[in-house]
Amino acid sequence: MAYYAEKNFFEDEQLIELVTSILSGNLTMEWYAAQGAPLRARPADPRRGLTYEDCNLGPYGYDAIPEFIRNRYSMAARGSVLVTKLPDLGYTVNRRSDVWSDNVVALYEEAKARRWAPAVDLPWGELTGDDSVREKAMAQLCTLLEEVALVAMEMPSKWVFSINQEFLELKSFLCAQMIDEARHVEACRKRALASGQGLGRASAAAEQALKELLSAETYPEASLGMNLLLGSFVLAMYRALAALARTRADRLLGTLAMQDVARSVTYGVGHMRYHLAQQPAKVVALGEYLDRTEHVVLGIAGCPEFLEPLVLLAAGSLDAERVAAGSRFARHWFATALEEYFERAAAAGLGDRRRRSRLPRLDA
Amino acid sequence: MSYLSTVDFTEDRAFVDRFQRTMRGDLELSWMDAPRERVACRPQNERRGLTFRDLDVGSYGFTDMPELIRENRSFAPRGAAMPEGLPDLQAEVNRKSEVWAYNIEGYYEEAMTRQWNATTDIPWGELQSVDLPEDIGKAYAQLLTFLTEVEMIATDVPAKWMGRLNADFFEVKNFIATQAMDEARHAEIFRKRALSTGWGLMRASAQNEFNLKFLRDADSFAEASLALHLQAEGMVLTLFRFSEYISPTEGDKKLFRLVMQDEARHVGYGMQHLKWVLDHFPERREAIHHHLDEAENFVFGGGYATEVLEPFIILSGKGLKKENIAEGVRITNAFQLKQADEYFERLAKCGLPERRERSRLWKMIELRKQSMAA
Repeated sequence: MAYYAEKNFFEDEQLIELVTSILSGNLTMEWYAAQGAPLRARPADPRRGLTYEDCNLGPYGYDAIPEFIRNRYSMAARGSVLVTKLPDLGYTVNRRSDVWSDNVVALYEEAKARRWAPAVDLPWGELTGDDSVREKAMAQLCTLLEEVALVAMEMPSKWVFSINQEFLELKSFLCAQMIDEARHVEACRKRALASGQGLGRASAAAEQALKELLSAETYPEASLGMNLLLGSFVLAMYRALAALARTRADRLLGTLAMQDVARSVTYGVGHMRYHLAQQPAKVVALGEYLDRTEHVVLGIAGCPEFLEPLVLLAAGSLDAERVAAGSRFARHWFATALEEYFERAAAAGLGDRRRRSRLPRLDA
Repeated sequence: MSYLSTVDFTEDRAFVDRFQRTMRGDLELSWMDAPRERVACRPQNERRGLTFRDLDVGSYGFTDMPELIRENRSFAPRGAAMPEGLPDLQAEVNRKSEVWAYNIEGYYEEAMTRQWNATTDIPWGELQSVDLPEDIGKAYAQLLTFLTEVEMIATDVPAKWMGRLNADFFEVKNFIATQAMDEARHAEIFRKRALSTGWGLMRASAQNEFNLKFLRDADSFAEASLALHLQAEGMVLTLFRFSEYISPTEGDKKLFRLVMQDEARHVGYGMQHLKWVLDHFPERREAIHHHLDEAENFVFGGGYATEVLEPFIILSGKGLKKENIAEGVRITNAFQLKQADEYFERLAKCGLPERRERSRLWKMIELRKQSMAA
């Protein structure tokens, strides 16, 4: 145990007297006058229900969160009346622009509204599982995607504990990211094990790259690396999976997962934009972070455990001509994913990375 | 300095060559030859879809998972072929009985299918049309303020541990992810309801925050789970049930029914985890008692939180008049005794029946029962 109560309450006569008195009907009512702002949240559009945007009122709202949280280190609800002796819960991320994005509230609402459950929302019965090249490729691709999703689930979990509770909506979005990625772990594992092939081979290259991303030193670096950089490529991976699907189950897996990942990418762009608007000098440090970290997407999207099954899924067979067509698909896929990443980086305020990045020199 | 991959992939000639060859259609396909157990998992029950239980096959399953995970220290999915060069992710929890629970896979599947939406699943329009009288409105807003304050501890604490668990325990990690979302939704719904009463948020609760700090700072996952899932959430579950009973409107009753469903799952995990620990790691029994000694001290100290106890009395009695307060005290007494009874009953069901004898909280409850009877 690391933290103990300030006293042994079982021997605290004062406490026993207080509780006995209250339970005899003598209420203190000390809290009764301690009311925050008497505002009333109402749904702006009853069809959409009561959103967090509707609750963005006065001192309760997220617009009222200051850039620096200096005097709130407990879990007291934002806008509630603070009392003395609230403990310090040890938050280390206390600067709004280190975590916030203007779209995070809407993305949290969307995440809840677009939830799905892999066990029942994918038509598993349609999958027969066989010894075809396609099924072998699918099992391997899904093994890699399960590895990626495990890491993508851990990134928000690693940070949510350290982020100040004042950023409630942002922390809630991180929780939505966790469940999204849990869903991807589940769906990809189930798909691989429905293939008749079993799981494929883990990827040493991808995992080295994922570990580097996961161990980013600051939240802005972690978010940039995981949401914007890796997210751009994972979004493209699921898009390819949907595009190459031959069954409704695979198409749904791809499109539903894309929907989730797109939210993370959107947050990643919005977060960087907000972060750099408030802390413009950070563009240098984050540019350098990308200089040394962008190589990880090659380790993940360029590893044989992902790229070869992608080629085979596009080819449909091991026939040389079909494999050539599959590799053309893979080249186009990589170039498009890379270009989309550069566009997002530019939109986030990180400048034109095409000139600076080592990735375009690969000449895929 | 953070971890850096053993290879800079853009500078590694062999990796780049291989990448470029693949892009030209020159495939090696060595992954196809990786030794593996070939299985074709199918839904045992079409209506339930393909569940984790359907995947409990051979080396992929959880039944055959060893007590100590000695081989996999990476993110390699359980059962996948593991090549050379996988990184060590420095997992701190590699013993199954530190995290596992009977039916963990069932709790996860249930959580995924029973997600709900605080924005749209509550009749907010109906609630808007009800103006609560000041005494009830303020008491309710205060109770909701407390609930808003404490809910996300059950996000932060399991999330803190997720990355420390070996990746082979992914069913537990997935369950933690669902719990994080459940608790975010609870913080959301209580906050929204407080703000829709017209009274706003009321006073924070220092005494309860000390308890939150205790939960955050547990030394092990097993201790964190014991105090969080079984004790704290167990007591909150009873609180939700009584809150449904004393809720001022039908919409509020629905609110508490929905959160109860989630909370019951978390308590279920806590119970089945403790049961698993006692069945498979009996040496921990004494450590569990020590942790509960302090956890119960915090619970008893919660008596100082008048901002929770008093609104509950007012809501139970439906007002501030003398007869209302008397009725409120009667219901609150019943609630608190029920809360304690259920807590000790859960511990007994998990295999800790001797807790009653050892517990100072139990002795205090017994004294109270005697004084009430007199």
